[in-house]
Amino acid sequence: MATLRLERPGPGGRAGLVIIMAFALVALAVSTGLYPADAAVATGSGQWEPASGRHWFGTNRLGQDIFARAIVGAATAFKVGMTVTLLSLLLGAFFGVVAGWRPGGWLDALVVWLMGVLDAIPFYLFAAALAFALGGGEAAMYTAMVLTFWTATARLVRAEVMRLRQLDYVASARAIGVAGPLIAVRHLLPNCRHLLLVQAALTFVAAIKTEVILSFLGIGMRDGVSWGLMLSESTQDVLAGHFGNFLAASALMFVLLLGFNLLADALQQPNPDSAKAMVGA
Amino acid sequence: MNGARSLARATAHALALLLGVTLVSFLLMVHFGPDRTWGLLGKNPSQAQIDEVRADLGYDQPLPAQYVRFLGELVTLDFGLSDKTGESVRQLMARTLPVTLALVLPGFTLGNVLGVLLGMLAAWRRDSVLDRLILGGSVAGMSLSFLVIIIALQILLCTPWGLDLFPARGWRVDSLGSYLWYVTVPTLSLVAVTLGYNTRFFRAVAVGELGRDHIRTARAYGASTGAILFRHVLRNGAVAMLTRVLFSLPLVVVSGSLLLETYFGIPGIGRATFDAITSGDQPVLKAVVSLTAVMFVLVQLFADASYRWVDPRVGRR
Repeated sequence: MATLRLERPGPGGRAGLVIIMAFALVALAVSTGLYPADAAVATGSGQWEPASGRHWFGTNRLGQDIFARAIVGAATAFKVGMTVTLLSLLLGAFFGVVAGWRPGGWLDALVVWLMGVLDAIPFYLFAAALAFALGGGEAAMYTAMVLTFWTATARLVRAEVMRLRQLDYVASARAIGVAGPLIAVRHLLPNCRHLLLVQAALTFVAAIKTEVILSFLGIGMRDGVSWGLMLSESTQDVLAGHFGNFLAASALMFVLLLGFNLLADALQQPNPDSAKAMVGA
Repeated sequence: MNGARSLARATAHALALLLGVTLVSFLLMVHFGPDRTWGLLGKNPSQAQIDEVRADLGYDQPLPAQYVRFLGELVTLDFGLSDKTGESVRQLMARTLPVTLALVLPGFTLGNVLGVLLGMLAAWRRDSVLDRLILGGSVAGMSLSFLVIIIALQILLCTPWGLDLFPARGWRVDSLGSYLWYVTVPTLSLVAVTLGYNTRFFRAVAVGELGRDHIRTARAYGASTGAILFRHVLRNGAVAMLTRVLFSLPLVVVSGSLLLETYFGIPGIGRATFDAITSGDQPVLKAVVSLTAVMFVLVQLFADASYRWVDPRVGRR
């Protein structure tokens, strides 16, 4: 039985949780204005100042403090990660339950077909096509991620629901005439929570990574501060010998992604089905 | 009989998917995409000229007719001329595709071979220090962005601040030596970004296989490590592994080439796609998106057929 193993996450999982909490606090401080982002970024210093006690990673081309920008980038990463994860999981859980409830039915066939279609178009091209159709901008980036990321969750939820609906208590609930949506909310989704939690961590990682690539390709974030935009900027910097942008953005991003990957790992590890699930996927 | 029927079902499934991916490509890029009329006209066009261009583009026809026209382009591989350069899209693909394959295939192959070897090694020494090291390395690798890996390797291998062994950009390949010179850093980048995921996947497959009864029996009879890993684990895990390799191929080729070629300035299909994205070149973008999606579906169909060849049990199920 899949249980929530948060009570004993192991050293790796604990480290992951601590990392995520720390970044979440930072993101919260930035978005509530507790961290004076504008003042910290615009320091009135000259361009390309080297790392110092005042500027931990130096300043960029415009004389802005790179570390402060990387901190603001963490808030952006959380905004992107949470938006995409929440929406993809909602879509994934909904379509997964709908499809798995009557396997082989027309609704199931339709959802499986839709997932096959969306998975067949390589992601960055799908994002490019959407940016093309929607005229670029952040909305196209979010739409592209949500429209493609939900299928992974939906496949897993569908498989789990197909298994759960055979179990006695679900069959009993159906036999006494409990409505489908109620069974889904009361019995099916709670039993998928472990799976959804793992998927949330993995989707978060994917969203942050994808923002970086899309911003580099010019179809992601347009303005504001993000790790993707900092790294895109750094592609020019490094050839001139300025590593501040690259080091700050990639270091913070690596630690946050490591946190989520460690958590996802800790959640998957005690589950003896994980190896089988991967092979079957 | 049974096998033929399931192959027919797989084909029907593939056809449904083909219809879907072409419809999505069509809707996104032809139907909802920007109107190309004005880009193709000169200044102050007359109504007759406008009508002529719109008829040329098929805008005066109903949606289903436009979709059929799009399918026709796809089947004949005739996507017209690039909006920006005027080169025929087919010619552009013929020119860029070989470069892309030469660029990504070494990294793709190496990433999978190393992944299988490391995965089997970790599974064989499960829960040992070595296994933990390999798993830890995979998690670290999975936490790195592709862009970060590329920039880091470029600094380390291609700039005066590192070893400065390889070119920082470009692709002037005319011999094996120059090919190796230009392909090394992109290959290492591709291996670094895929190895973590690959290793973990192949380890999971190998762990599953190693736990089976016939492996215990083989061990009891004193079969060698090599025989168990390569004869039993690899062969029985082949379907899962092959699925993974085949399914990741279009994704790695497209995503990998898009990023690597843009970054290193290599004239492959990825760079052409990037240029089409930034300049809104619809004929090129439409060709790349729909063709890769179609390729992906065909690969799935091919995968389905190849399982029967790799694993005779599949057809009988």
